[in-house]
Amino acid sequence: MTRAEIRDLIIEIIKDIDDEAQFDDVSPDEPLRDQLDLDSMDFLDIVMELRKRHKLQIPEEDYPQLATLNSCVNYLEPLLHNA
Amino acid sequence: MGAPHIVIGGGLSGLAAAIRLARFGEPVVIIEQHNRLGGLNSYYTRNGRLYETGLHAISNFAPRKQRHAPLNKLLKQLQLSRDDLSICEQLRSEIHFPGTEPLLFSNDFSLLRDTIDDVFPHALAGFDRLVQRLDHHDPFAPAPFTATREILSSFLNDQQLIEMLLCPLLFYGSSWQDDIDFNQFTILFRAIYQDGFFRPAGTIKDLLDLLTETLIERGATIITGTGVEHLRVVDDRVESVILENGEELDCNIVISTIGSDETRRLAGKNIDKTDIVRLSFFESIFTVDSTGKTAVSKDATCIFFCRQNRLRYRKPNTPVDLKSGVISLPDNFSGREAGTMRDVRITHLANYQQWFDARAASASSYDDLKAAYARKSARVAEAYVGSFFEAITYQDSFTPLTVQRYTGKIEGAVYGSPNKHTDGACGFANMFLAGTDQGYLGIIGAMLSGVLMVNRHILPKLAK
Ligand SMILES: Cc1cc2nc3c(=O)[nH]c(=O)nc-3n(C[C@H](O)[C@H](O)[C@H](O)COP(=O)(O)OP(=O)(O)OC[C@H]3O[C@@H](n4cnc5c(N)ncnc54)[C@H](O)[C@@H]3O)c2cc1C
Repeated sequence: MTRAEIRDLIIEIIKDIDDEAQFDDVSPDEPLRDQLDLDSMDFLDIVMELRKRHKLQIPEEDYPQLATLNSCVNYLEPLLHNA
Repeated sequence: MGAPHIVIGGGLSGLAAAIRLARFGEPVVIIEQHNRLGGLNSYYTRNGRLYETGLHAISNFAPRKQRHAPLNKLLKQLQLSRDDLSICEQLRSEIHFPGTEPLLFSNDFSLLRDTIDDVFPHALAGFDRLVQRLDHHDPFAPAPFTATREILSSFLNDQQLIEMLLCPLLFYGSSWQDDIDFNQFTILFRAIYQDGFFRPAGTIKDLLDLLTETLIERGATIITGTGVEHLRVVDDRVESVILENGEELDCNIVISTIGSDETRRLAGKNIDKTDIVRLSFFESIFTVDSTGKTAVSKDATCIFFCRQNRLRYRKPNTPVDLKSGVISLPDNFSGREAGTMRDVRITHLANYQQWFDARAASASSYDDLKAAYARKSARVAEAYVGSFFEAITYQDSFTPLTVQRYTGKIEGAVYGSPNKHTDGACGFANMFLAGTDQGYLGIIGAMLSGVLMVNRHILPKLAK
């Protein structure tokens, strides 16, 4: 997957979790938590969706790497390299 | 694919846990001993009419826009649509004690505050400070049992007000006698006074059908009509689950919703015969023909009453304690059409042993006792809802024995053991508790408990 595709994947997953999520003003380097009003339960859902869709195993200690849109892409890029 | 996760118990906590697992494609089997799902909140039909077994009112009402409210959080976690619930809000509820005007509350918190201002004006400032304290208290942070009455006394300079405020919260969620843990109090204060009550427009069957369809759609296996007979345990691991019909199922992680001692018993462990007191209830349902001269209240949704100044929320020395109780009027929700037949449900504290003894004596002495207490209960309730005794067309009562028979809860204790296991641990490496003995009570509480225990003990640990 390209970086743009990974970014779209994350957006799609978050929209599935919360159909009211608005990405128009989301800044890619600010925490998603604050901008989209997400909590730890939502982040667990993101991790689980990645596992379901792409067989990705993200250990709990790596959850902080999913904090911003850009950090998600950075973290997932090597993992989804062949996807 | 490896062995499935197994959920023991098809009550609301078990259903929610299984839906949460199935959402992410995890293989899951949910096992309910009865033919019908729902546990304490189920239904039966009599004379062509559907009767709900447990439902008075669902707490934790929240408007759609409160995204982090428990109700909305729960729906999101289960990926259910709020519109499928067809929510009807309560009209208003009442708290009656002798010698004072009743307190009223609704889904608008200001009603409670306003009536406190009317009835206990000298205590209003203290009440406001209490609410502030509660708003800043995190009830989910682990803490040892902290008595609530003592804290309330430091805010409220009126014992009667303390009793009145405690009454609905104890009846709708305390497994302790007389007092309640401050964390649990905070949760219930929010759930009942600050959030409020609702119910589905139809019946609990609609919710159960929705949950069942969701489970099937997501590929879960539902086994009903045969319970878990025992658990095969090696060291501290549950290796397999053996059903009453002899079938043996291998398991990955087990979520048990049937209670902590009840679960340990299935695993062949001894239960400490401690002197803990389990609280149970006597409830009667009356169907009333309202075309005649009856005057059943059309305004109140739930009425909590106590006929003495101090609430005694404890196991009574008589089969039923008629001194206090809850009256539920399920037709009094906004948007619900009441037909000519209206239901009145009345719940009191009860003594398990005395019902047990009556039953042991003879079936007829048990039935007679039931009929006698149903009659007395109706007479007591008339003082609060208006007369209806002459217009009763159908009635049914359940005792602690009924609850024990239908849910397997020891001594028919609706709210389980007073010892809760908030982290879900119950002494096994791959089995965790959810529901009543985990500590979140009520319909929304039970469902959240199922979700939270799956989130905590299963999802983060899944392998690829
Ligand atoms: C009369 C009454 C009125 C209530 N009113 C309300 C209300 O108005 N609003 C509200 O929010 N809450 C209400 N409650 C409380 C609410 O019903 C409970 O808190 C909640 O439903 C508990 O759900 P649970 O899943 O934890 O337990 P349960 O509903 O008890 O579910 C446990 C399930 O496990 C099954 N089981 C037991 N042993 C086994 C076994 N060995 N193998 C397989 N299955 C087994 C049982 O049959 C049962 O179905 C009421 C309860 C009662 C009794």
